[in-house]
Amino acid sequence: MYTELNSILNTTPDSFTQGEFVLLSDRESDASFLIHHFLSLYLRARCKVCFLGLVQSFNHYSAISQRLGVSLAQAKEKGQLVFLEGQKESLSVLIPQETDTGSPAMDFLRDPAVGLKSLYEFVRSAVSSSGIGEGEADGAEEWGPPVLLVDDLSVLLSLGLSAGAVMDFSHYCRAIVCSLLQGNVVMLVRCDGEGEEDEGDDEGSERLMKGLTHQCSLTLHVQGLPTGYCRDIHGQVEVCWRRRQGDGQCTQKKLFQYKVHDKGASFFAPGTSSAVL
Amino acid sequence: MLPELLQGIESGGLLIIQDSASYSGRHLLQSFINAALNREEAVHVLGFEVSEEELKDGLRGSPVQRLHFHNAYTDPLGWTDHPAFTVHHFCLEELARLVKQTSHSKPATLVIDSLSWILRHVSPPDVCKTLQQLRKGGAVRAIIGLLHADMHQRGTVGSVCRLATSVITVAPATKGDEAVAKITKRSKSGKVIQDEEIFRIKDDLTIVIQSKSSQPGAKKADSEEQETDPTANLTFNLRLSDTEREAKEKLALPFVFSKEKKTALLHSGPDPDDDLDV
Repeated sequence: MYTELNSILNTTPDSFTQGEFVLLSDRESDASFLIHHFLSLYLRARCKVCFLGLVQSFNHYSAISQRLGVSLAQAKEKGQLVFLEGQKESLSVLIPQETDTGSPAMDFLRDPAVGLKSLYEFVRSAVSSSGIGEGEADGAEEWGPPVLLVDDLSVLLSLGLSAGAVMDFSHYCRAIVCSLLQGNVVMLVRCDGEGEEDEGDDEGSERLMKGLTHQCSLTLHVQGLPTGYCRDIHGQVEVCWRRRQGDGQCTQKKLFQYKVHDKGASFFAPGTSSAVL
Repeated sequence: MLPELLQGIESGGLLIIQDSASYSGRHLLQSFINAALNREEAVHVLGFEVSEEELKDGLRGSPVQRLHFHNAYTDPLGWTDHPAFTVHHFCLEELARLVKQTSHSKPATLVIDSLSWILRHVSPPDVCKTLQQLRKGGAVRAIIGLLHADMHQRGTVGSVCRLATSVITVAPATKGDEAVAKITKRSKSGKVIQDEEIFRIKDDLTIVIQSKSSQPGAKKADSEEQETDPTANLTFNLRLSDTEREAKEKLALPFVFSKEKKTALLHSGPDPDDDLDV
């Protein structure tokens, strides 16, 4: 959890806007540090978290979270965290073992044409369950509003799903988590293309990102510096609030430069890095 | 022209609000809903992209008694057992039935949020057919639809907008909460009027026109002013004075045969290549 980002977004583990759909995106850069931020933020906020880790192993996320001061293993044990390890689950679907035929959540791997209904069913059962730790009836802890995190949606495109199918999935997730249960959704999507306009490619990540931008209420778009790599500034992040705020502002945009440290990240206005001043 | 459209769409009209990822047209759509409700018209909202709570939250202060929300948001594809309205119900019969459920003296306005959701799952010809039937059928007085133009191929956007009596394309303006609206209006006589306005939506969903970015008259004057003389700063003369003309006429042009040239050709000097042993 990065406190500087919290103050930009006006959130703390104790108070955050509910019912928000946050879209993280990157272009020729890496926004996964933001996923780790939101994961540790919501675990600290005592939310019931459902994490679809499609890109990395559980140990990877666990090691980084450890540095940010939260234990994923403990959260999982307590029933606060439901973790879908995409790599492992897909392996058991693709190479079925006798004992383990894989989670039904990954059914779309067998036939991408059926869509992501099965993955949605997984999310639904994870966020609607009461949050009581398994086999720990006495330690029944109450968790806050549910949160869904996805790292990242672009992998689904690579697995053969259409951008439309992924948008349907995100729509259903938003409907249940944000609207029905007043929780939050954070999704990461990567854009590989350089240009904003690629007319012919209508099934690509560009279309997915546009579709998700129409659905979400807050976007954080990470880009490399236009002037190239720099040791002291790792890139820039554009924060855009899309929902009508209380003071009548419709869309508000702010640009920050950032640097990711070993145990955190700093955000500053463009041109005010310690390397410049 | 935006205030005129807000005052009411003619009966049988189809208004399309086109937006893109950089600026959402939903606030303008809410302004239209608010304006219709304030005129005591019945408004039916077919909501795919926002929940009823979110919509009503956006319409705080409007008289929402005549607002009827048809929930296509929770389950638009029928993934659960009891879908309220799925995208495949988007046809004349279903929509007419929905609107008729509530009886009003006046025919209602149908708001579709958004056409993009439908176009992702229903073929564009079918969507166009249903829209046309709705307009002509008399079940609804007018239709207002939101369309995310950057989500579809240009041909699809074109064919849907061809049906519309008015198209408003919104885009962000240079200043914070302002936006630019490009309006195309087709009147019944076939006359097409285009206009461009910069507007701002106030908290109570009324619209303030900041400026007309291109009034037809103003544009004309502008272009006249910029028309400068292209012959002003030339590096050569376009006209000749009498003495210059005389001098010019004295010159023999190349490739024109004259007596001197003929003798020069016949009695040319020694061949310079004569000593060359080829």
